[in-house]
Amino acid sequence: MIKQLSQRLLGPVTLVLLALTFWLGLWVTPPDRVQGNLVRLLYVHPAIAWVALYVSFGTSVIASSLYLWRRTRSVVMDRVASCAMEVSAVFLALTLITGSIWGRPTWGVWWAWDARLTSTAILLVFALGYLALRRANDDPELRARRSAVFAIIAAINVPIDHFSVDWWHTLHQGATVFTENGNFLVHGSMLWTLFLSLFAFTLLFFWLLRARYRLEVQRDARYAASLDEALAQRRREGVH
Amino acid sequence: MPDTEDTFDLTPVAAPPTKRRGRWRTIGVLAVLVLAVLALLSQGLLHSLNYFETIDQAMNSRAQLGTETFRLEGVVKPHTIDRTSRGASFWMTGGDKKIFVDATGSPPQLFQANIPVVVEGHFTSETSDKFVATQILVKHTATYIAKYPNRVKAPNGTVR
Repeated sequence: MIKQLSQRLLGPVTLVLLALTFWLGLWVTPPDRVQGNLVRLLYVHPAIAWVALYVSFGTSVIASSLYLWRRTRSVVMDRVASCAMEVSAVFLALTLITGSIWGRPTWGVWWAWDARLTSTAILLVFALGYLALRRANDDPELRARRSAVFAIIAAINVPIDHFSVDWWHTLHQGATVFTENGNFLVHGSMLWTLFLSLFAFTLLFFWLLRARYRLEVQRDARYAASLDEALAQRRREGVH
Repeated sequence: MPDTEDTFDLTPVAAPPTKRRGRWRTIGVLAVLVLAVLALLSQGLLHSLNYFETIDQAMNSRAQLGTETFRLEGVVKPHTIDRTSRGASFWMTGGDKKIFVDATGSPPQLFQANIPVVVEGHFTSETSDKFVATQILVKHTATYIAKYPNRVKAPNGTVR
């Protein structure tokens, strides 16, 4: 009952929270002392990057690990891993696009080959590579195993991406929320709107993941049905 | 003829080539992936993991740098910006050191006093403090503070 209700409410709640985030971000929160109204991208870009790097890529890696572990190996884990990686690929592309839109007026360039931007681009290539790898294998078990191993290897780039701004000199700014000393560098209503955007985009991820997962289940069911139909067809051909 | 499963041989006839084809496709995907990652790394990180040198680092390695082109980071010193038809000149500080920058090209819209910038160019000579730049990039901080923190809303809705 509660599960059904939460599944039904996930979409509407996500949309309401996203609308609230945009309303607060565009009309209620103040302009920044240095960036002026450019600061409004703060309520979009970090949240998209949060979902891309940590939530969706992380979900895919955890599901991949659980698939490789014999006790928890199941087709559900494989499906979750692949669906989460698809969402991650989309969000990684959006991270680079929104970052570029923010970078042009602030830095003065659309793109800079610094460690943060380059490692994020590499992560997108890894995500696309994962999806290509899945399409390269016809054997479901082999495909699941290889892609799970690949996801775990690709995950090495996530901490590199995260700490790149601390380890090297980058044009990209340092951490805004997860700072080394735990102090928030965003003030007042801007901080709460930023937190709201992180929560709203996280819910959006779960909504998209659920929709993509259901599509995958339907596709598998359709494939199984078409296989049964092909076998039946062959039997009929044998009869006549 | 009875319609039972054991009457017909349902074993796939041409199964083996599929696995081999899958293996080659996997190798192909991984090869493209490695090339793409190497291409990105060659653009971004193989030359240097650091996007710029700080003023302290640049001054400490003046002999090696010479008039070589590199990126330099520092904070724009207040009251020193002189916007010219070609670009802008200003003093840039880092630690207790300062460097005069003569930059060509249009500065970014956030370019102003007290803001960290990265300039790309070279020193005019091995002993000079003058840096000729062809590009100015603004490196804004991660701090976000309201522009008018004391602004209040009047009962009639107007902002003061």
